[in-house]
Amino acid sequence: MPINRFLFGVLICLFSGQVWAAGPLHQQIDQRIESRAGGQVADLASDAEFLRRVSLDLNGIVPTADEVRTFLGDQGSQKRAKLIDRLLTAPEYARRMREVFSVMLLERRKGTTVSAEDWNRFLELSFAQNQSWDEFVRSLLQADAANEETHGSVKFFVDGGRADHDQMTQDIARLFLGMNIHCAQCHDHPTVDQFKQVDYVGLMAYLNQSVSAQHSGLQRTFLVENMAKAKVEFESVFDVGNKQQTGPRLPGRDEIEIPAYEEGQEFSEPEKDGLPGVPKFRPRQLLAIQLTEPSNQRFVENAVNRFWFLMMGRGLVHPLDMMHEKNPASHPELLSLLANEFVNHNFDVKWLLRELALSKTYQRSSIVPEGIEPQDVPVESYRVAIAKGLSAEQTGWSMMRVTGVLEKVIETPKSPDAKFTFKDYINGRLPLPDNLSDTMLLFVSVFGNAPGQAEVEFQPSMGQALFLMNERLVLQWLSSSDGTLVKRLESESEATKVAEELYVNILSRFPSDEETAELVKFLDQNQDHRTDAISQFAWAMLTSAEFRLNH
Amino acid sequence: MNHFRCHSPEHEFSRRQVLGTLVGGAAGLGANGLLNPVVADELKSQQKSVLLIWLDGGISQFESWDPKPGTEFGGPFSAIPTSLPGIHVSELMPHTAQQMHHLSVVRSMCTKDENHSSGVPRILRGDPKNRGVTYPYLGAAMAKLKGDSQSEIPNYIWVKPGSGGFIWQHGGFLGAEYGALALGDGKPPVHINRPPEVDDVIDQSRNDLRKQLNARFRNRRRGAEVNAYESSFEMAEKLIRRKDLFTDFTPQQLERYGSHHLGRHILQSKRLIEAGALFVQCHSYHWDTHADNFNMHLDLVPQIDKPFAALIEDWHESGMLDNVLVLLMSEFGRTPKINQRMGRDHWPEAWSLCLAGCGIRRGMVLGKTTDDGVWVDTTEYDIGHIFHTVFGAMGIDSLGAEYHYNGQPLPIAHEDCVPIKELLA
Repeated sequence: MPINRFLFGVLICLFSGQVWAAGPLHQQIDQRIESRAGGQVADLASDAEFLRRVSLDLNGIVPTADEVRTFLGDQGSQKRAKLIDRLLTAPEYARRMREVFSVMLLERRKGTTVSAEDWNRFLELSFAQNQSWDEFVRSLLQADAANEETHGSVKFFVDGGRADHDQMTQDIARLFLGMNIHCAQCHDHPTVDQFKQVDYVGLMAYLNQSVSAQHSGLQRTFLVENMAKAKVEFESVFDVGNKQQTGPRLPGRDEIEIPAYEEGQEFSEPEKDGLPGVPKFRPRQLLAIQLTEPSNQRFVENAVNRFWFLMMGRGLVHPLDMMHEKNPASHPELLSLLANEFVNHNFDVKWLLRELALSKTYQRSSIVPEGIEPQDVPVESYRVAIAKGLSAEQTGWSMMRVTGVLEKVIETPKSPDAKFTFKDYINGRLPLPDNLSDTMLLFVSVFGNAPGQAEVEFQPSMGQALFLMNERLVLQWLSSSDGTLVKRLESESEATKVAEELYVNILSRFPSDEETAELVKFLDQNQDHRTDAISQFAWAMLTSAEFRLNH
Repeated sequence: MNHFRCHSPEHEFSRRQVLGTLVGGAAGLGANGLLNPVVADELKSQQKSVLLIWLDGGISQFESWDPKPGTEFGGPFSAIPTSLPGIHVSELMPHTAQQMHHLSVVRSMCTKDENHSSGVPRILRGDPKNRGVTYPYLGAAMAKLKGDSQSEIPNYIWVKPGSGGFIWQHGGFLGAEYGALALGDGKPPVHINRPPEVDDVIDQSRNDLRKQLNARFRNRRRGAEVNAYESSFEMAEKLIRRKDLFTDFTPQQLERYGSHHLGRHILQSKRLIEAGALFVQCHSYHWDTHADNFNMHLDLVPQIDKPFAALIEDWHESGMLDNVLVLLMSEFGRTPKINQRMGRDHWPEAWSLCLAGCGIRRGMVLGKTTDDGVWVDTTEYDIGHIFHTVFGAMGIDSLGAEYHYNGQPLPIAHEDCVPIKELLA
């Protein structure tokens, strides 16, 4: 109805000029989402749905059956807030963040110059200590290989496919500024006025002196900086001959002068240990500081947009790396609010995640209210919770937990001389993986994206379906063998109890009467091979969309 | 509209006979290279398919379909005569030159977008007007318009280097189920083999349970993710039944098509089409020759020339070419101007593509560029024209047919464009 639309438009105008009531950030988020919802919002998720969702998001694994029963039985009014706080302080939190940011920062590239252990230590330490986001990014860009605790950070550059300065430039723009400026390598972006070739070259001028070098004593790869002497010259492929130049310059900022030193005065440290001398002027170190300044709005907005995406399943600006005037945020005022508050709270990551998790927007059900067609609810309205695909890691951890093999897999030591590779395994040259690192490698190989492809959308593949159908390891977990869920349930004579255990363990909720009856009937029909029947039903639950999605 | 898909046993038999016995051997071919009339009629009544061969990054029209030797921008290669009198192509395509009488080449493409990131999807979606909806890729559109959801072979298959998977985003507003099944390196996934303890009965039983759970979960939720997940399992089930499609190629086949990626991938695409796939998209990467354009084309063009010519010749001889529309193209051409790195950059203003087979006139070169190759000198054709033409060749009324999305009628191809009549047989 045109008139209603008109009125609605007026309301939006009024709202956008309104001064919002102050309150905790999560309440302010909800006000801004609901004020432009454009229709009825979904109810809050059930306790079971919420528990599963927040456990996956903050700890990277579905809850145990005990956790489900305890949380659903808790009558306390603050139980959701308490749960959030518990998950944020659990050791699994740092591991989950390490997995999330390892995937985001390395994009599953497979270099081995820096060990995964060193890189993981750097990430986990950072998130366990709740290092502020700006400090985290600084340490990543500084890439200080001399630091005994955090030298694994160097992996971002040396194993992230970023040996070449163009890739470095493009990835830093994408990951930390939300700018996909690939095409600005050769010319201004043809449709996005904000993305100029000079932005690209200016950013590259911070990085083009950074190269790998081997420290002879520590046997470690360093990312050193050579002497930056001159600006970088460039020309557009559409305007050949018109040479321009720029020194280090952040998009939208002033160019930095490259200082001139007298000969012999350029270095602050002489060359040693196989490393070249350290110049006084080190643009990458400057980048680490300038990029992460609170006044760099792009940096802050990109950060909150990515945390929002992590929790809500879609960026306020989406795709995440297309933050520009032609692709505005779905809720621009909310994006600025989050950015401002993130700065006011000194880039406190846990604080931000906690506020997001406390919001009704996060806690909404994925079930569309009665009377509304599901396809009529725009995804970007956040009126209904968005289903997120489980990551490879979440899938692996959760499948091990619900089938009952997790403890055993964790306890099994990795044989020091056996090298597990996906290729050898699937070609039948290796036995089933039995320890954690090999098992996770298998899951990442099947459920992770190809190297260099960001993991943003849910992309179920036929290969994954075939894996779940036919992989011997998965079928073994679902068989009646030592310690598995199916083993425990085969001696349970009461069919309703079997139903409850299957649902609570695998889907983290109690079954409905209909679902219980369905399972009772199925077991009844298959009395002569009851264990196989339980195993088949467990398989169906494990391969169901309800399990595969974080809903 | 589609006799083979009626699943009548006679058709099954004829098809198996044709594909299994006759194609590839000379047994069924007469002296003049045509199938015996009975089999040929049977083939003609069969379904129509599309093979889209995509040279990602942009093949240079100067180094392929529209050479301009001896001109300012012509580059170092010469032009050679073809099986079409008076028509020349680049010397890099000697095999294809001999098949020109089966092909239609458009030399007057003029499109809008010079970016890969936006240009590739835009071209593959037919560059519809911005209507606030995401249009399907050509393969997904074809799956919607001509596909059979009960087909044993997925309707839309994407043979590509690198990783595979189910790329549901290609479905656009049509929905996830119209997405592409991507076969990484043309290979089926390794878990295609079911362990012996899971027999047919068990497999059926467990999958029925899974579908039951999904149906309940989908109720009152947005279906896209659930449907995409369900589709991935359906495809898996179908593929398990057709493992035979992925056996090794013979040395003779590899000799004829080339043992490199593109040769193998075209062979694999051929097999999938012959087995009944409706639409196969076969991708080759690395055609974005901003630097060292000439050496790169010297290396790359033969990799498409030989298998493409072999495919056209084989399908002509077997009669398949009457039922399969083959489209060979990129997202744009390359600049006349040669940059300082001896590269050619992106050029959507004047470029060429090739169509052949089902519903397409044979032995035709449409349009021309200016003598220096910079601009189109005749009527310009946009990608919308090509979509209309492909739909038309497949027997779809592209001016009349509409999608319906949320109660909104949407044209299947750009409403400012029409089918190119000259190309239609």
